[in-house]
Amino acid sequence: MLQTILGLLTLSGFAGFLALCLEVADLYFANYGECAIRINDGEREYTVQGGGHLLGALGDQGIFVPSACGGRGSCGLCKLQVLEGAGPLLPTETPYLSPEERRNHVRLSCQVKVRNNLSIEIPPELFLIKEYSARVERIRDLTEDIKEIRLSLLEPDTMKFKAGQYIQFQIPEYAGADEPVYRAYSLASGPGDPRRLTLVVTRVPDGVASTYIHTELREGNKVRVNGPYGEFYLRESAGDILMVATGSGLAPIMSLLHQMADQQIQRKATVVFGARQRKDLFYLEELEGFKERIPSLEVIFTLSRPSEEDRWQGERGRVTEVIPKIVHPRDEVEAYICGNPAMVESSEELLVRLGVPRERIYYDKFA
Amino acid sequence: MGRSPVIQSPHLDRVEQNLRSRPGHAHDFLGEDRRRLIEILTDDLGTVHAMGLTHEAVADRLERITDAARKGLGDPILLEGRFRTEVQEARGKLPCPWGHPGLYRKSLVTLFRVDTGESLQWTDLSIHLIRAHGFYQGKGSAYRLEPADLKRILEL
Repeated sequence: MLQTILGLLTLSGFAGFLALCLEVADLYFANYGECAIRINDGEREYTVQGGGHLLGALGDQGIFVPSACGGRGSCGLCKLQVLEGAGPLLPTETPYLSPEERRNHVRLSCQVKVRNNLSIEIPPELFLIKEYSARVERIRDLTEDIKEIRLSLLEPDTMKFKAGQYIQFQIPEYAGADEPVYRAYSLASGPGDPRRLTLVVTRVPDGVASTYIHTELREGNKVRVNGPYGEFYLRESAGDILMVATGSGLAPIMSLLHQMADQQIQRKATVVFGARQRKDLFYLEELEGFKERIPSLEVIFTLSRPSEEDRWQGERGRVTEVIPKIVHPRDEVEAYICGNPAMVESSEELLVRLGVPRERIYYDKFA
Repeated sequence: MGRSPVIQSPHLDRVEQNLRSRPGHAHDFLGEDRRRLIEILTDDLGTVHAMGLTHEAVADRLERITDAARKGLGDPILLEGRFRTEVQEARGKLPCPWGHPGLYRKSLVTLFRVDTGESLQWTDLSIHLIRAHGFYQGKGSAYRLEPADLKRILEL
């Protein structure tokens, strides 16, 4: 037994020593020089210093590829097609790639090292993603655990985005984070005001970002964001629109309503906003304002556990209890859902059972 | 991963380094625990086995309660006549500090026993850490789950 343990320890130690030697060799002896990254068949071309990972190299050139894990290879979001120059597929990549993706040379850009010239394909929407500096113009409490943050963009001073998209907000080092981190927040403002961004942030227990925003962030602070991201935006069609939200999930819905009002979109639209008690509702005035600007808009509030003091006369129950009262089989409805992930899943399944095709149900998964 | 015996390895060293680089971090997995990670894992494994349990059994029970509690869509519900549970979820997902593929929902499950007044909190990531790695988090960590507490409160 002792011999077995000693053997295992020796083997582990030797493997660790070899790995260390490889790292040292790579660090000091591997000099890859300058490498060219050719994008979309020559549409763009960059010369970078080799040795780093593709994700970082592109970020240095102002091209932001989505990532939720800071390049640690554990989220699988940073996929790109690398047609030439990437070297063999790594074991750290294979769990994230389907056979079809592998056939199409899709790689994790955080794992691909830039050792020689690369030819890659980037979806055009990624070029719209930029990093911005902004100033915190206003912070106000919407409820006891939700704040609205209004930013005015500094450099660049405008952002082109679709209503419903989100940005990544940089949280600097502070007591709760020993390195900067990014978190995604939907935009509550509309694209009609490209100089300002409005975010709605719920304080999450022990949340790195929300704790910073709720306790440290001040009006006048300079912040960094990048974006816009996401596939949650209003589709062009003639169908009725159902928007379902709980909590800060109302943010992108507000953005869609800004778009509908600004562009005078006449489609019939119903917002169902669910909360626990009256004190958890917010944007009541703003929603009334939208009803005046969008004549086809109906807004339904529903409380799941109203208190006696609420003297609530409106709908009671969760949003999933209200949806069947509004959506009927064979209705031509397009649904936009945002909020508590369990609510989003339940609402989607409910809508499918009510006959809404899954491809007409939209929600933001972030990661 | 969470199997007996727990073996020291360069990978476990990296995991421990990853866990320890977050003092005071919101997700401080090790808390005030100064023991080596292998000691934490081995001690908890011994405790779990001594109670006649496995990591899988503990994780299964937590997962079943979590799945049932999710039906509340953020509101508290009473399960099995004595567990008042609530699941708060934030958007986005968390990677596992062990560094392997997979992302876990940012959920916080709060369970309160209406008969004894005891409570527990865990996350989806907690369940994975127990099932796959036998990691109940370090003593002093906000999300440390003492195996003995789990056995008693969840009636394992």
